[in-house]
Order: sequence, then structure tokens, then C-alpha cells
Amino acid sequence: MSEIVVDVWLYGGLSKYGRGAEQGSFANVEARLREGSTIGDLLAFLKIPSWERGITFIDGQLSAMPGLQPDMDHILSDGDRAAFFHLNSMWPFQYRHGAAMIRELAEAMQAGKDRGLHHSYGEHESNA
Amino acid sequence: MWLIRVNMNDLTSRVEPLPDAYKHLGGRGMTSTIVAKEVPPLCHPLGPNNKLVFAPGIVTGTPAPTSARVSAGAKSPLTGGIKESNGGSSWAADLADMQVRALVVEGQAKKNGKFRGLHLVWDAAAGQPKVEFFDASEHAGKDLFEAFPKIYAKFGDKISISGCGIAGEYGYGNAGIVYNDPAKRPTRYSGRGGLGSVMGSKGLKFIVLSREGSPGVPITDEALFDQGRKKMIDALRTHAVTKPKGALNTYGTAVLINILNEAGGLPTRNFSSGRFEGAAKTAGEAIFEGNKQRLGKELYNHACSPGCIIQCSNTWHNPDGTEAASCVEYESDWALGANCGIDSLDDIATMVKLCNGYGLDTIETGATIGVVMEAGVIPFGDSQGAINLIHEMGKGTPLGRILGGGTAFAGKAYGMTRVPAVKGQGMPAYEPRAVKGIGITYATSTMGADHTAGYTIAPEILGVSGKQDPLTPEGKAALSRGFQAATAFIDTSGHCLFIAFAVLDIASGLEGMVEECNGVLGTQWTTADIGRVGADVLQTERAFNEAAGLGKETDRIPEFMLTEPLPPHNQVFDVSDEALDSVYAEL
Repeated sequence: MSEIVVDVWLYGGLSKYGRGAEQGSFANVEARLREGSTIGDLLAFLKIPSWERGITFIDGQLSAMPGLQPDMDHILSDGDRAAFFHLNSMWPFQYRHGAAMIRELAEAMQAGKDRGLHHSYGEHESNA
Repeated sequence: MWLIRVNMNDLTSRVEPLPDAYKHLGGRGMTSTIVAKEVPPLCHPLGPNNKLVFAPGIVTGTPAPTSARVSAGAKSPLTGGIKESNGGSSWAADLADMQVRALVVEGQAKKNGKFRGLHLVWDAAAGQPKVEFFDASEHAGKDLFEAFPKIYAKFGDKISISGCGIAGEYGYGNAGIVYNDPAKRPTRYSGRGGLGSVMGSKGLKFIVLSREGSPGVPITDEALFDQGRKKMIDALRTHAVTKPKGALNTYGTAVLINILNEAGGLPTRNFSSGRFEGAAKTAGEAIFEGNKQRLGKELYNHACSPGCIIQCSNTWHNPDGTEAASCVEYESDWALGANCGIDSLDDIATMVKLCNGYGLDTIETGATIGVVMEAGVIPFGDSQGAINLIHEMGKGTPLGRILGGGTAFAGKAYGMTRVPAVKGQGMPAYEPRAVKGIGITYATSTMGADHTAGYTIAPEILGVSGKQDPLTPEGKAALSRGFQAATAFIDTSGHCLFIAFAVLDIASGLEGMVEECNGVLGTQWTTADIGRVGADVLQTERAFNEAAGLGKETDRIPEFMLTEPLPPHNQVFDVSDEALDSVYAEL
């Protein structure tokens, strides 16, 4: 089975999972995975517990937010750029309104309360 | 409660009881109402008919958390329209404590090389504030870091200061109004729109507040106020973005650098790309780690003003552990970093400090330098060249004066077409081609391109929940309308806009904000009134702009963004004019 290469960026505290590629506040890792691998497979390869990551991008498209991770089964392609953020990051709605999202996240937000118009999707969602 | 009028024509002042019509106004609602009522829309912004208005918010000066905010308002020399520029400082709280709900500076002192200062004190015998004038000419042409200690030496440590720097003396479109921070540094700004030049044009250099003996803000219903205050505190202390050691307290607003970069929405090299290869070196995470290395310990951020419990203001340190600059905000970091192709935090901090010292708006300065870098004045990435350009502005050289005119002015001077500005105001750090919702707000805001014009409040409060698909252009326009109204309310309340992060997700916090206002004013507002009160402010501002010649035809994104695809997503801004026009047509 052929291999894919993913350009991985780990920010803040997640840089400790950088397999020796830490550069202080971030790490940039080249991950080699088998074809058909998913975000879940990439996290397992990097040994990152999924709950430790928050905002996530796949090729510049938002794929997950804190408490909302519909991207675990998203299949990666060769040359993809994947970026994982620590839970102390943020992307307020007004600054991401209309930004690119993967299909799975767009569908999850459309189905959620207020169509995803929030900052966090975990502990505070029931209060919203 | 008082309204103070200062007439710079004859150096007189009047302390008037606050008119009944203004008793429920504060902050932006107050400044925009007075400017719209009293300033001729077609007047020259730097002429004697413009007025500079300061107003603390409704709850400013009270124990409401994160509420030491002041609005500065006038006709803007940058946009030609109405302007409200918000700042956080003890100056705001002190003005409120002196029960001054509005300070209106009128007229223009004779230009004989002199600059005046105002000193507001509490006159205990009269039971009202009093205005004294002083000669501030010795501070003209001086760096604000040099002038501030002398002002403190003259008036004592318990004062607060606002003022304009050299940029305001020159009449630049990118001159801000400075306020002191808690460490007595000149680092807090009502930065946008050139209001520092309105102040300078009046021959006014500083406004010093001595609040000693002042009675504080009267609260009509203490129990209701306290109930609201506690709800707000609970929201801010528990939300991931605003809590202690949360996103803002740890990484500051520059936490957005890496996020926008990964999203392909970080404007790079004068808006020619949405991704900067050096972004991670300049991000909030890099500031936190860099400080840790240089100081040998973790450093969390500080408050810009008394009573703030979010505490998002950072300080960047030199390799020897001394202070380099405070505060390296996201927009400053971006404007003087990615937008100029510069990836050195040390150089960015140097430029932030220079802007603070000269009295320049960092956003407008960085956006302007980006344009002239593309014009070939200096190459992208040339941080020493950029530092030199800021000094040109400070010296008032012919080149410096072109740059001081702002992004659009410098773009015209160099014949550029890629000029990121709306209504003459340089665009902040979010690319409209990658984040189209913010593009709608940039295009339609009464303030020109303004990233603080449309903060998110729960859609059910805005009356748009379930009615609009936020992914359609019409849905984005409807939400932008609601966000702009909600933002006008928060700017009126006196709270920092960053409370919106928490109260969007924690509904009780939003209730708390309204209860605080009702507690102070004795009003009966509910959360459903947020949109109405905010919309009233927007309509006032919009009417002024239309009379000043800024109608819907000016609610447009620059043409290059409609035709040049932005890497890496290779998108153009494709929201229709009809959708843009609907924002205010349906207000």
C-alpha cells in the first residue's frame, strides 16, 4: 500500500508531541502514513489524545473546534497540511464567519444550536 | 451628572448639568449622539467646527468588571465620517468617578506655536468638577515616553492622562489619542480614525484628571447592579477565552496569529497572500514562550485598566529581561509583522513602542507601510527600513507626512491599486476573501474598515436565530447587521468588547450586562433591547455619514479583492452589492 506525507503543525503545548521537531512554541512534523489514513490515525501516530486538541485545520479548512470533533474519520490526502491547536486558543465567530470548513464540520454546525455560532462547544453549550 | 464644554477659541469652560435627553446614554451612544447633533457633517475635521467628545460608558467607574472604557468621538480626518474610537485606561474610570458623562472640546486655539493642557479636578466646595488650563507647549514635539513622566511629576502620581503625540500635532490621519496604562506608560490608545489630530488641531495636548475627592458613579439600584455584576464576573471567570490563564490571559490577542495563518486569512505582504511563512515566530504562543526563556519564568498578561479581570495585555521583553514593548496586540503584531513580511518579534516590538511614543495608530501605520513596501519604497521584510519609516513620520519629513496620511493617502501618492482600505481607513488583520463575514462588516461599518465593529452576540437576542442561513450572503449580511448593533450597545455600556466572547456562550453573563446598566440608570431594559439600543446608535452614525457624503456607495470592499484570488484558498470577495446594501437598508 502506498504512503502519504502530511505536513503537520502543532501549536503551543501540543508541540511536545512533535517527535523531536519542537521549535519552542510550535512544532512542524512530516508525518508519513499509509494511504487512506484519517485524522484519527494521524493523532494516534503523533500520540496526541484527541481531547487535548482544540481548533484544527486540514489544508486551511476548519475541521474541529473545542468540544466538536466531526473530523476523526476525515481521510487525509498526500500533501495535506494539518494544524492542531491547544485548548487555550480561540477563533471568535466574527473572525471566522464565512471561512472555509470541511464538509463534516459544516454539517455538524448546521445541525447544532444556533448553527454553530459560538466560541466553544463543550462545557458551555448547554448554557448557550 | 455633568457635561463639560471646553471652548478652545477663548480658553473657557462650562460645567453643565447633563441634559435629560442624554441621561441614558454613555460611551459610543453619547459621543455619536453629540457629534451627530452638534458637528456640521461637511465641516473640515481639523477645523474649528469639529468637536472632540469623550464619554465613559454607562457602567464605567463602577465595580462592574472589565469596564474602564472611554469612547472618543468626532468627525474623522481619516474617513471623513463619524468616528468612535474606544480605549481602556484609568482615565476612563476617573472621568466617570468625577461624574462627567461627556467632555466636549470645541473651537480651536490660535496657532501661535502653543499647546494647552486641561486639568480636571473635583471642586468639593461646589460639588462639581472644575476645569483648569495649563501651558503644555514644552511637551510639543516630544516623545510621549518623555512627556508622560513630566506630567506625572507636575500633577502627582494619582492622575490619569489622555493626549496626542507628535502625530496629532502634525495632523496625521493615523494619529491616535493616547491614555496611560497602569504602569503610567503611554500605551493605551483610542487608535483609529485620526482623532489624535482632531485633538492636536484644537491646540490641545493633554487632558489630566485628578479624581481625588470625587464622589464616584451613582447607582440607582444597588441590588440589581450587584446581581448583574456577579453574573458577569462568573461568565468571565469560567469561559475558556476570558478566564484566568485562559486564552487571552496567557497568549493575549496575538493568539489569533497562528489561527488566521492556518485559515489562510492572515493578510501577508500587503494583502497579497493569506498565509505568512514566518507567522509562528510572531504569534501569541511565541510571545509567551519567548518571555519564559528570557525571564526564566512564565509571564501571564496584565490588565490595561483598573477592574479588568480578563487581563489580556502582554509585554514583550528584550534578551536581557528588560521591557521591550507593551502591548503587542494581535492587530499591531500583524500590521507590523506579516503584513510587512517581518517575522522578528523584537523588531515588531520596537515599532509598537515607536508608534506609542509618536502617537501613531499601529494598524494604520502597518497597513500604510505594507502599501509602500509594495510600491518599492523599501522591500518587504526590511524591518530596519520599516523602523526608519516610522521615524520619518515622527520627524515630519515630506515622506513621513505622506505615510502619516494613512493607507489610502499613501496608496494614492504612490499610484497603487492594491490599497486595503474602506472609507479611507486601513483594513485590520482579517482577510475578507478568506473570512467573508468580516468583509461585510468592514464594508458597511459606519467607522470604515473596523475589526471591532461587529462582535458576536447570541442570534436569538439579535432576532435572527433560525431565520437566516449563516453560510449564504444574505445570512452573513443579516448577522453582520445584528453584530454591529450589539457591538454599538457594548461600546455604549462601557464594557470592553472582549466580554462578548464569554457572554455569547454563557447567557447569564449577557443578562448580567443589562442588569448592570439597569442598576446604574434605573432603566428597565431586557436583553431584547440590546439590538434596539444599538441600532439607534448605528442609525445616528449612518445619518451623519450620509450627510457627510458617505452613502451606501462607499460600503464596498476594495476592487482588487473582487478580482485577485487570494492564496492559499484562491478565493475572491464575492458578496454582492445587494447583500452589502441590505445591512443598513434593513436596519
